[in-house]
Amino acid sequence: MTQLADFQTPGRQGLLPALARAVIIAGSYWLLSLSLTVSTGSFAAVAGCIAACLLVGLQERDSLLKRLRTTVILLAAALLAAMGMIAAGIITGSNLLATLFGPVAAFHLAEGVKWLSFSFALTGALRVLAVRSSAGGIIEVLFVATGFVIILSAHRNGMINRPFFLGDFALSRGLDPATVLLVLGCGAVMCLSALLLVEENRRRLPYHFALFGLLCLSLIGYVQTFGLPTPQMTDDLGLTGNSAQRRENPFHDGENNTENKQAPVAVVVFRDDYEPGGGAYYFRESAYSQWNGYMLDFTSNPDMDRDLIPAPGAPAREVVSSEGRRLVSATIGTLVPHRSPFGLDAPIAFENAPNPNNLRFKRTWDAHSLVPEFDLNEMLGRQAGDPDWPEEVRQEYLRLPDDPRYGELAREIIGGLRPQYAADPFARAWAVKSYLDRNGIYSLANEHAYSEDPAASFLFGDLTGYCMHFAFASTYMLRSLGIPARVGIGYSVPAANRAGGSSLLIQAIHGHAWPEIYFEGYGWVIVDPAPQRTLVDMTTDPQNELQQLLGDMLRGEAAFEEFLQEQAGLTINWQLVLGALPALLAALVLAGYGVKIYRLWIPAAAGLGAQHRLSYRAALDRLAAVGIRRRFGESREAFARRAGATAPALEALTAWHLAHALGERPPRLDIEDWNGMRRRLGSEIRGNTGAGYRIVAILNPFSWLRAR
Amino acid sequence: MNWDSAMQAPQDEVGEDTGANLETAIGVLQRLRDVVRNQVIGRDDVIELVIIALIADGHVLLEDFPGSGKTTLAKALGEAIGDDRDFEHFIAPFRRIQFTPDLLPSDVTGVPVFDSASNAFHFRHGPIFAHVVLADEINRTSPKVQAAMLEAMGEKQVTVDNVTYPLDELFFVIATQNPLDLVGTYPLPVPQLDRFLFKISMEHIDRKSELEVLETWQSRRDTTGGGSAVTRDELLNSRAAIDREVAIADVVKSTLVDISRNLRDDERVLQGNSTRSLVLMLPALQVAAALRGRNFVSAEDIELLLPRVLGHRIELAPGVADLNRILHDNMREPMERLAGSTLA
Repeated sequence: MTQLADFQTPGRQGLLPALARAVIIAGSYWLLSLSLTVSTGSFAAVAGCIAACLLVGLQERDSLLKRLRTTVILLAAALLAAMGMIAAGIITGSNLLATLFGPVAAFHLAEGVKWLSFSFALTGALRVLAVRSSAGGIIEVLFVATGFVIILSAHRNGMINRPFFLGDFALSRGLDPATVLLVLGCGAVMCLSALLLVEENRRRLPYHFALFGLLCLSLIGYVQTFGLPTPQMTDDLGLTGNSAQRRENPFHDGENNTENKQAPVAVVVFRDDYEPGGGAYYFRESAYSQWNGYMLDFTSNPDMDRDLIPAPGAPAREVVSSEGRRLVSATIGTLVPHRSPFGLDAPIAFENAPNPNNLRFKRTWDAHSLVPEFDLNEMLGRQAGDPDWPEEVRQEYLRLPDDPRYGELAREIIGGLRPQYAADPFARAWAVKSYLDRNGIYSLANEHAYSEDPAASFLFGDLTGYCMHFAFASTYMLRSLGIPARVGIGYSVPAANRAGGSSLLIQAIHGHAWPEIYFEGYGWVIVDPAPQRTLVDMTTDPQNELQQLLGDMLRGEAAFEEFLQEQAGLTINWQLVLGALPALLAALVLAGYGVKIYRLWIPAAAGLGAQHRLSYRAALDRLAAVGIRRRFGESREAFARRAGATAPALEALTAWHLAHALGERPPRLDIEDWNGMRRRLGSEIRGNTGAGYRIVAILNPFSWLRAR
Repeated sequence: MNWDSAMQAPQDEVGEDTGANLETAIGVLQRLRDVVRNQVIGRDDVIELVIIALIADGHVLLEDFPGSGKTTLAKALGEAIGDDRDFEHFIAPFRRIQFTPDLLPSDVTGVPVFDSASNAFHFRHGPIFAHVVLADEINRTSPKVQAAMLEAMGEKQVTVDNVTYPLDELFFVIATQNPLDLVGTYPLPVPQLDRFLFKISMEHIDRKSELEVLETWQSRRDTTGGGSAVTRDELLNSRAAIDREVAIADVVKSTLVDISRNLRDDERVLQGNSTRSLVLMLPALQVAAALRGRNFVSAEDIELLLPRVLGHRIELAPGVADLNRILHDNMREPMERLAGSTLA
């Protein structure tokens, strides 16, 4: 076949592969940008990525881009990214744009410019590297893989898996959503690597693919065996996390980011009917009540806060009067680790409850609470504080920073009260609350956290802050008026979030702090300021399906038991697989040797009629073992000529074989001819190959697979 | 491949007539090949193809440049074939026709001339009455002459003045055309190209062979070929024997069909090869097998002949030039099936 040369196609990229790759890389940008910027930024990132992909994909071969050195392109990309950042800074800094279009539009514009230039520059640089060298291709794959892994794991770790449409999809079919997401991520990476390798040497493709597949499989296997790393999820108030990690200053949590606001942290299943009077469910975890010299802190005095429960199973502490209250039980399951248990205001006992799903719930308990049924108006005329308190305790509840402004402001506020209420504790508290309602501005972004007294900085400054500031400021003012008050912390969930069922989902954003006042006969009563002006959208998607699903799960209903069993049946026992793997491999190797030996031995045992096939196949096996095999589409004669240097006898053997297989009157041979031919071939192969090759030939159990 | 030695063992024991016939036929072909090889140096592949076409009852079209030895080849072939019949004295072993634009059909076929002695017309045989005819630069003559030539090739007869004169059973045309110098030519249309079994593109011979040509040209000029190596009857018997004895396995036929189907489905091919081309290829495959001392058709025969048989019968899509690539792509898979079938 002298005329038919073997041609190699140069890899040519059309529009479609370029577009497909662009979409995959854009997907990783989308995931990456979701948590870091607003929607405009995400769109800009995706657009920049697709533009850069198409530019490089279509222009790299025959344009100016081709003539530029890689270093120049990389420098240009870095410059472009830097310019984008600077431009974004100018846009947000300039008053002109903000006044013309409003600050929100200017912010969106800046994010758009920043992400557009960033993604365009980074994608362009990565693409150029990938096109120009195979190592660059790996960098690109790693970037995409990182994008997927970081976001998917961070987004979903520990919490019930998000995005919810995927998580619910998987859960309702009995699969672990984490696995589904990992598979998705792996699939995306595989797709991308396939696209990347299209332009590489085609012979390397299977090896690269096998490597990627192995990596992905081991990742899934690792997660299945050891689980995902537990996230250090925190809410604003330090409610979550380990009990050992207590924050020195809860105000520092104010430097929160907007990530994970919607993350579900716990689910509550009510065992009794209950609708809160105040429009929100309050779950108290603990309270800051003791002045420690610079702020309020957990008390160390056993006589204080006797209503708080240190741990589940601790004896119920009946320190609240049941007057005007009703017993409500609820089962609570946390999805992320929490410092200590919490319950509906006011919890009186926690009992450990069986955990229906260890994968899902970190801890489950039954909380028994005496929920307030009374109207706040009933507090009018009540005495603040408990007459049974020792004087020392009473004084502790009245201590506040050594700052006269609290008292001055508080007296100014209650100055407007009608005379008959001027001395009433509840009326005074309500006046303070109303003042903060009217004048306070709710905002997560504030600069009070690092001042000596954040509450003072808030109250006598811009009055812009979040629940912690409101709670501390009102507590200090109430204390200055002689009303025993403390800061309760826990969760506050809008009543509207409960979608009619008996379960309620608590999300990270619901972490809350509020002022509480002790009224004689009623115990600690929440008087929570609700600022009318807010800079933060505190509404969340209540995620009704998830609420329902987790509630069912926590309730451990029969239907759900079935569901769980189904899930268990479908889950692959990875430990078993890992354990069985060596045995499987050994069996495979043994089977390989078995077939290998059988195919070499069978010609000696077979009759004359099958010799042309079996002897020839044995010869091919021996040659394949030393690395000589027929190419795809190559004729047997051509192969025999090619192998002639190692085994000259193969030509004659091939002639015999083909005369039998294709001819009508094959040569008459007896069994000795065949045996002699096999021996001759064997000695030729032994004589013409190196010792190393021969050892590999003997050891390789699957060499016969390569013979054809 | 050294088939001769490989087949040594069976030959000793095959005593039947049929096997002996094939033996003789193979001997004849090899004798003819060796004689021509002595005269034409460095063209072993072309000689082999030409002999295959001769025995397979086909004709060949050589595409080459002037001075590449095609006349020498045709002449050597013609002179190697002796004719021991004396009654048909008008059949010459070799004739060469140089085609020019002003050539007339009668210049090729012959013409009746008036013999004053016998007072009657006698047909004077043209140069086409020969065993081997070299039709030089066949694309330089008018379509009319081409048609007369091609009719003779197809029908093995010429008709002049309504009288039909049969050509010899052993009638073999080697036509040539220059692929580059196309000014003032009448290119052969595809149906006429179909008359040729092979289209062979000759390449320059290698350095060693060219040097040998220069060193031996005097001795070869002085000898006149040394007489005929084979006779016409021997060749015809060989043709019959090979046709009878060389087996074509079903899997070989299905391979040929699969390749043509692949070619027809290939979007780079405007028109695929005809079924007739496959039918014509079968005897050629048999001869190729016999020439290698085999009594069955094998994959390497297909590899050798397929490009030569199909090359000029396939019309490529506009803008596609790489015929070899297309053939290679479409052959791989059926050829692999063929190879795989022998172990199944």
